[in-house]
Amino acid sequence: MTRDEEILPQFQLILQEIMPEKKIQVRPELDLVSDLNLDSLKTMELLEKLEDVYDISIPINILADVRSVGDLAQAVQKLSAG
Amino acid sequence: MKATPTVHALPLQMDHLSTLAEAMDYAAQGDTGYNFYSGRGTLAEVLPYTVLRDEARALARKLLSLNMPRGARVALVAATEPNFVRFFYACQYAGYVPVPLPAKVNLGGQQEYAAQLKRLLLICQAEAAMAGDDYLPYLLDAADGLALRFAGNMRTFVQLPDADTPLKPQRPDELAYLQYTSGSTRFPRGVMITQAAVLENAKAIISHGVQLRRGDRAVSWLPFYHDMGLVGLLLAPLVGQISVDYLSTRDFAMRPRLWLKLMSENRGTISFGPPFGYDLAARRLRDDEIGNYDLHAWRIAGVGAEMIRKETLEFFAQRLKPAGFDCRAFLPCYGMAECSLAVCFGRLGAGIEVDEVDAERLARDHMAVPLSSGAGENGRSNTFITCGHRLPGYELEIKDEEGQVLDERRCGILHVRGASVMSGYFGNTEATSEVLSPDGWLNTGDVAYQTGAEVVIVGRAKDTIIVNGRNILPQDIEYLAESQPGVRTGDSTAFALPNAQGYDQPVVLLEYREKDRDKRLQLVAALHQLIQQEIGIDCRVELVDKDVLVRTTSGKPSRHATRKVYLRLVQSGQEKSTVVSTVPVESVS
Repeated sequence: MTRDEEILPQFQLILQEIMPEKKIQVRPELDLVSDLNLDSLKTMELLEKLEDVYDISIPINILADVRSVGDLAQAVQKLSAG
Repeated sequence: MKATPTVHALPLQMDHLSTLAEAMDYAAQGDTGYNFYSGRGTLAEVLPYTVLRDEARALARKLLSLNMPRGARVALVAATEPNFVRFFYACQYAGYVPVPLPAKVNLGGQQEYAAQLKRLLLICQAEAAMAGDDYLPYLLDAADGLALRFAGNMRTFVQLPDADTPLKPQRPDELAYLQYTSGSTRFPRGVMITQAAVLENAKAIISHGVQLRRGDRAVSWLPFYHDMGLVGLLLAPLVGQISVDYLSTRDFAMRPRLWLKLMSENRGTISFGPPFGYDLAARRLRDDEIGNYDLHAWRIAGVGAEMIRKETLEFFAQRLKPAGFDCRAFLPCYGMAECSLAVCFGRLGAGIEVDEVDAERLARDHMAVPLSSGAGENGRSNTFITCGHRLPGYELEIKDEEGQVLDERRCGILHVRGASVMSGYFGNTEATSEVLSPDGWLNTGDVAYQTGAEVVIVGRAKDTIIVNGRNILPQDIEYLAESQPGVRTGDSTAFALPNAQGYDQPVVLLEYREKDRDKRLQLVAALHQLIQQEIGIDCRVELVDKDVLVRTTSGKPSRHATRKVYLRLVQSGQEKSTVVSTVPVESVS
């Protein structure tokens, strides 16, 4: 099981790489859409990197429930544990 | 597992085909078919036409057991997967009308997606509905409370008994499908396309547009719920009996290089996409990967679905040149769901051809005066990509606002007539009569001019905003804005401004009387998020003073006039004092 303290710095790295123009300070409650303004293409870039880093396959329906960095971290943890 | 072959023994014949079921019957005598690839680019499922035909006919018997009336609508969540295809063709054999539904859910957009599906199920009066496992929960949610005879996935449908009535495939004058691609999520309009119409268009695309030949193989990542993906890359290949390799749209968006990998490994010759697809693939490609691909076989790189910018395609061509991509493969085309798919195709092997005209004369007199010496009045020019010739079977006219037919090089609204034009919008005679005249002329709403036999599109359908190849209607954005507490109907206007790359940046302006700064900021953030969840776009939200929105005499906001006023405000640097904004627009020109 990947724990929060490991996963958040990794998210920080990935998000910063996708959006180099923004200063990002990752917190679990950070909203991907309203705070980070992640559009659909950036979302896909994020998923690609998460799939590669954690060697998982993220199903489509997971996204519909994901709003915050914490939601996504939880989903990734579940997938990499399973 | 082995993908279906490119070359096979069945002679290319299509003159005798008058329905999709007949096209399937013929293609099933050969070895070609559809191939589905995974998100890692590996072959996941092979569906030769010969197998697909049997499966579709077996499934048709299950559908018939539901005792739906002939022509009943069967709604299908159109994910890029074999089961969508099986159901689509099962409807063809059973005499039902398939209705592809969008398979696209936005981040955090669970409720909005289910609500969108519900609106579509209602408006097409679906009698049955199907989704794959990924989308089934949303479909069942949407179907809850509706009078559907059956909603489920392949597993539940196959448990239905077999009807003992004989299959009665659709006839040429019956509907082949309903397509809800007119852009609006809130006010969807279902384009009715008959068998005769789609067959006419597919044949014209095959023999004139792409001039299909032995050795052709298509690759596609386009969604089946859009006309280019459905008609261009699912139905036309069947009519032409060629093999296709599919990558889901989501997998393409996640790993665009898989498109190039498939083209390379399978020696694909034909692929289509909106300009943004080419841009995405070129941008996300790493320099050290280019050498892995061999794109010499790629003879048709079709481009359509949004205004084409030369720079985007040149960027792709330059980047992929070392892999053998030839820029002459670019084939611009023009069309719309209301015409089945295609109206015009560029010249094969010519690449991108442009017409450079005097910008001043264009703006002032609506005349596209060619520039021979390189500079017009004031030295400004506009460069347009020519969309080529009309396909046979179409008549075209450019008309002014009074309906007068205009001469060559005069700009007006493009009207088309021909056998591939829709029968109308399903259950909506008002919307139909707005665009389709009793004598069969379709008003495309697009601004165009003709030069010789070539058609040049100057501007898109009025007001439409295009983001990543998707048509977004401003009224959908305005609807969400006006559903916010404290915002009245008619107090918002949405339109597009060019961003730094020259593409559309959607903007919505709202009159909001609340003076409290926190409440104003809250509204902006809430609406921005709602638009993202429901429509999936990053829309700039601006609160403006009372005099910014320009209204017509009937009190409706005028998008065009408001946009002009707003542009002036932005350019004079005044907008900061009147608005609260979330998203910086990079540059406004």
